[in-house]
Amino acid sequence: MKYRVSHTTTYTYARPVDLASHMLHLSPRSFLGQKVLWSDLQADPPPSRVNVGADHFGNHVSWMFMDRRHDTFAVTVKAEVDVAFPLPPKACDTMPWEDVAKAASAGGSDGWQAAEFIFDSPMIPTEPAAGAYASPCFSPGRPILSALLELNGRIRKEFSFKAGVTNVHTPVSRVLSQRAGVCQDFTHLMIAALRMHGLPARYVSGYLRTKPPPGTKPRLGADQSHAWVGAWLGPQHGWVDLDPTNDLVVHDEHVVLAWGRDYGDISPVRGVILGGGRHSVSVGVDLEPI
Amino acid sequence: MTRPAAMDEMVDGKGGLRTHWRSLLGSFSALGEGGLAERAQRLTRAFEEEGVTSVLPGATAHEQSWRCDPVPLPIPAAEFSELEAGLAQRATLLDALLADIYGPQRLLADGLLPPALVYNNASFLRACRFFDTPSRLQFYAADLVRGPDGAWRVLADRTSGAAGIGFARENRRLLTRVMPEAFHQMQVRQLRPFFDLWQDSLQKLAAPRSGEHAVGRKANPTVALLTPGTGAAQWFEHMYLSRELSCALVEGGDLTVRNGTLFLKTLRGLQQVDVLLRRVDGRMIDPLELDHGSLLGVPGLLDTARTGAVRISNDAGSGAAEAPALAAFLPALCMRLLDERLLLQSVPTMWLGEHRARSVVQQDPSRWLIRSATDGGAQGLVPASMQPPDRAALLRKIEMRPWEWAATASIPPSVAPCLDGNGLTPRPIVMRLFMVHDGVRWQALQGGLARVLETADHMAGRLPPGGLAKDVWVLNAERGDVAGPLPAAAPMLQIRRATGDLPSRVADNLFWLGRYVERLEHSARLIRAAIARLARGTGLSAREGVELQCLARCLVEAGCVPAELGNGSSSTTSLAEALLACVREGGMLHDRFNAVSRLTESVRDRLTGDMYATFTQALRTARANAATVGRSLDGLSHAMVSIQRYSTSVAGVAAESMVRGGGWLFLDLGRRVERAHAVTGEIAIALDHAPERIETGLRLVLELCDSAITYRTRYLNVLQPAPVLDLVLADQGNPRGLAFQLVAIHGLLDELTEGDGREMLAGAAAGLLAEAEALVEAVLEAKDQAIAASGLPPKLESIAGALSELSDRITRRYFALLPVAQTLGVGPEADDPADGLSVELVGAA
Repeated sequence: MKYRVSHTTTYTYARPVDLASHMLHLSPRSFLGQKVLWSDLQADPPPSRVNVGADHFGNHVSWMFMDRRHDTFAVTVKAEVDVAFPLPPKACDTMPWEDVAKAASAGGSDGWQAAEFIFDSPMIPTEPAAGAYASPCFSPGRPILSALLELNGRIRKEFSFKAGVTNVHTPVSRVLSQRAGVCQDFTHLMIAALRMHGLPARYVSGYLRTKPPPGTKPRLGADQSHAWVGAWLGPQHGWVDLDPTNDLVVHDEHVVLAWGRDYGDISPVRGVILGGGRHSVSVGVDLEPI
Repeated sequence: MTRPAAMDEMVDGKGGLRTHWRSLLGSFSALGEGGLAERAQRLTRAFEEEGVTSVLPGATAHEQSWRCDPVPLPIPAAEFSELEAGLAQRATLLDALLADIYGPQRLLADGLLPPALVYNNASFLRACRFFDTPSRLQFYAADLVRGPDGAWRVLADRTSGAAGIGFARENRRLLTRVMPEAFHQMQVRQLRPFFDLWQDSLQKLAAPRSGEHAVGRKANPTVALLTPGTGAAQWFEHMYLSRELSCALVEGGDLTVRNGTLFLKTLRGLQQVDVLLRRVDGRMIDPLELDHGSLLGVPGLLDTARTGAVRISNDAGSGAAEAPALAAFLPALCMRLLDERLLLQSVPTMWLGEHRARSVVQQDPSRWLIRSATDGGAQGLVPASMQPPDRAALLRKIEMRPWEWAATASIPPSVAPCLDGNGLTPRPIVMRLFMVHDGVRWQALQGGLARVLETADHMAGRLPPGGLAKDVWVLNAERGDVAGPLPAAAPMLQIRRATGDLPSRVADNLFWLGRYVERLEHSARLIRAAIARLARGTGLSAREGVELQCLARCLVEAGCVPAELGNGSSSTTSLAEALLACVREGGMLHDRFNAVSRLTESVRDRLTGDMYATFTQALRTARANAATVGRSLDGLSHAMVSIQRYSTSVAGVAAESMVRGGGWLFLDLGRRVERAHAVTGEIAIALDHAPERIETGLRLVLELCDSAITYRTRYLNVLQPAPVLDLVLADQGNPRGLAFQLVAIHGLLDELTEGDGREMLAGAAAGLLAEAEALVEAVLEAKDQAIAASGLPPKLESIAGALSELSDRITRRYFALLPVAQTLGVGPEADDPADGLSVELVGAA
């Protein structure tokens, strides 16, 4: 499935900004399930210096530095992406979840890269309540994908999607107690739950197609940046992406931007500015099939 | 099982002295009965006088500070060269390890390193992954202990930026002074060459600037030491190092990144920085990519380092190799990475992420020191000294998250004799040695910092805030017979020039130091004048009563007493009370003392030791006198005298000892601006009388400007407005008068400023001088001088206003008023940008 992505972030400052540095995770990455045909990043005002590279996780990063006064900063990414995640294996064919945990913590050639995602991360510290919430899904010896799918569905059913009740820094414990939040909160919750079971789980950021395929119900979290969970099925099957906000297995309705341990690793627009006073942000996302 | 006894550094276990201790003890006995104790006292005094007690952590807490034992720890040449070879190999190994974990991570893929030690390590900075750099480590230190078997083993590797080397150097400097005989008798290797090597190696790190020849080294690179600032525990060491290494001492706020290049903000504009000697936690150096709350770093610094435009030494991510649990894997890693056997072993250490290791610890926890697996700065836990419930709780904690823990065998460290009263007592020691990479190989400081272990939990982790230190003496093999390699022959050094350009922040601090010292002084002058009249009690004449009212208004202006005391209706008792209150906690003078102390510390790196001692000793005396005032006006007056003495000694030492460069200019400028402002304001208040009572005002003007004697010499006892005003407003030779200050300000600004600003700033001072002269001229030519004089106050107030404006303009011109930085997209979106950031001071391990 081919998509055209358009994503604009605009910062408006109350007072002029004299000096600004930005680190952007806005250019989609290519990998097995996704091919980026082209992508283009533009900023207004144009930066005095731009540098691009890859981060530790292999995501595309752009750095932009501005040393002229400005009142607004707008950055737009446009891209065309071909998405075709491989279909997940049959749930019953996947390893018992305990063996997946063992393979990850053992590291070495089979699990060293996945192992990074079993530890606490700055925005997802240990949260026993998340582990307890998920533990009914993880009966002994259960194939991992079967457990993951059940958990993915439970979060969709038992939590309500509500904008404005949480922010970037809402802890998982709060999301659990209020049973509400947005895609980022559900993603952090599910990651915390999996890590409490010793299972590698990562944070994936990207987009969801704006209009759902004909004949399906509307998706939650379209028209904006979206987030979901990458979970590891063991050395044989690798990673599968699960969207707990919509109870979906990611296949061809999502476009991946980047992944990391949590939101903090791949915040789309990060920056330090001198001056500016108060500021407001507006984000517009469009993902249309072509 | 009985624990083996600790080894004694001094005796050989067969009742004899070790050879290398013999001549050392010989030189002590030559000092005679009580001689050593007397030297120890001199040593302690020297430390206190020069403020070195605070060179290391625990800067101000006196009881907690470091002392130096007069008995050094001698190490024979052969033993030291073995240690040096072992440490050089470890440093090479750790650099190779860092190259792998920040590069291809083959050690993880091949299972030689557990993922937890990298991915669950807070000092593993993902932002530093894939940096293309020839090395990440140029400075390395290790803490060593010697076990009962006589072998030194490494307890902790320090790869981020180990503290303590400045202290080692200070110990040596003072010990040489206090005990010269001992150095004559022993051949002790010098420490200085190491600092030359280090300085040279830092300069070699600089990349050629664009436009320069790409081959070979850079002509005159700028090296700066990045410190968290005066609040950091190691501030004094940073200051000390910046001097030893002739590099600029800078804080994050002094630096800015423009167009991929790092610059220091100096008075002369932006100056490129090529090499940054990092003494700030690596996680704090770039709020854009690392800890976004940090104000200690520079946004964009990592981008600059990534392109090679600046080299950071040690690399921001180098702290990852301090993980204590790594010790368990080093022998295998050494074979893999260097194809060599590890020469210098660690104290046996296990990573508790391994099941077998855990059961060993559970069997007998008391034989182990429990440490964080990844945080080399964390203190160790000692199960042997824990209550059983606490020990059980610790074991449960380990069982919950075993990968976060390491266990190090608890071996009794060797003991060395320390002076205790008049005798020597053996006490357990740990020794820190330092290495620097000179571009070709690793070389050791030919000495080190040994410290006495007060408690076992201080063995691992950061240097404690205080304790007893020992100088480490590396001895040459035989007196007069130099066998084996000489102390490392230093390669030819490049000619270098210290960075003379003053960072704007330092200039700012000196300017305000000048202003505050002057403000203290003239407050003291006013208070003394007021006390002289208050002391007369009810016998106050009408004239004196008027003078006291004027003084009260001046005191209000100076901020010494509350505003309501200036309206002329308050009682003398309430004025006396207010004066006594202003030296107490929360009072104006008390606050100003604090401001002056703070500013003095912040510019300490610009002052010589003697200057600093003069500044602080006189200030301490003044503060001590102020603290004992109680309810006595006499005592208050006495305290004011000591403030005036303090101010005089600052002025004197600055005039005599400070090079007439940027630093002195700003100190003096601050002082002149403050005095000009105060004098003008006070004359305005004193003259604010009806023409028939102007004489009272004139008398007070002369007193406040300390000019009564000069006036009497010139005009005898005839008091007339024009001559008085000429002396205090227009006479350029009167150092207490306005004209003198304006001439000085004009000269200083003229010297400092180039281009357009010169006209604006120096020109403003010249304009004010002309104005003051015109005022006096007008009074002189007036029909009735008294009427003219009593009409001056509004004009003088406008001059005072112009002076405040000039001060503001100086501030804007020289001390970049930078808006507060705020972060986007990561931190909580703060309502007030200033609240979005927190200052955290994190020192090196």
